[in-house]
Amino acid sequence: MDSENKTYYIKNNTIIINRDLNKLDLFVKDFLDVLKRHTSYLIVSGFVSISTGRTRGTEDVDCLVPKMDKHKFSLLLQDLFKNHFWCYQGDSLEEIWSYVEKGDNIRFAREEEIFPNIEFILVDESKPAKYFELTHPQKIKIKDFEFNIPPIEFEILYKEIILNGKKDIADAKHLRIFFSEILNKEKFKEYELIIKQEK
Amino acid sequence: MKNKPKTDLDYVEFYAEELKKNPEIFKQQKELIESQLKSNSDLTKKRFSKKNFKSQVRDYLKKSR
Repeated sequence: MDSENKTYYIKNNTIIINRDLNKLDLFVKDFLDVLKRHTSYLIVSGFVSISTGRTRGTEDVDCLVPKMDKHKFSLLLQDLFKNHFWCYQGDSLEEIWSYVEKGDNIRFAREEEIFPNIEFILVDESKPAKYFELTHPQKIKIKDFEFNIPPIEFEILYKEIILNGKKDIADAKHLRIFFSEILNKEKFKEYELIIKQEK
Repeated sequence: MKNKPKTDLDYVEFYAEELKKNPEIFKQQKELIESQLKSNSDLTKKRFSKKNFKSQVRDYLKKSR
């Protein structure tokens, strides 16, 4: 089967998904176009399964970002505001930083919208599993939208071992079936040890 | 999947297997996602006016916690 007719294929270590972009992809793409100018990142959880075909709705897209200082955060925030995103937690750096400083997650949506939104999760080495996936990204591409997700084996195990809700188990099942041809048993063993440190 | 799907997880498996064989199924997924986004956006517009949008939403979120 030609790669154009396959649902997905791998090219230069990037997973290529053979589908058109939808409006949820475009929301995430617009956000990441700003975020990428300031920091590394990783898209995790529901959007990973949805972007690879799982048929379910979502209201938020989880995005891991390395912890940053206030100055770096202020530049990112200005850029997001300039590009028509708003933050649930406040309109000023001081207000929003008070959440970030405590380690609370914050949310961004497009102006005059609530959903979908980005849950912005700051991560450092104190969260070993999250830090590992953030620093070991897998590239995935849909048309011209390329973004970082965890290694698929890691994402499956994180959903099965840590999150473990009904929705997460179904997402993990989807990923196990959809990517069955490329999953690596050795990686499962390696990642299980890392993930269990966070349990 | 050899047997007819029965549980939710059976359907997840069935759908993923079918999707692997036929990327055209992504078109249905796109429709579903965009319909949900439109419903959410319509509901937001009905519930919150443009004027003071952010403060209305923040109040609503505080109360609904």
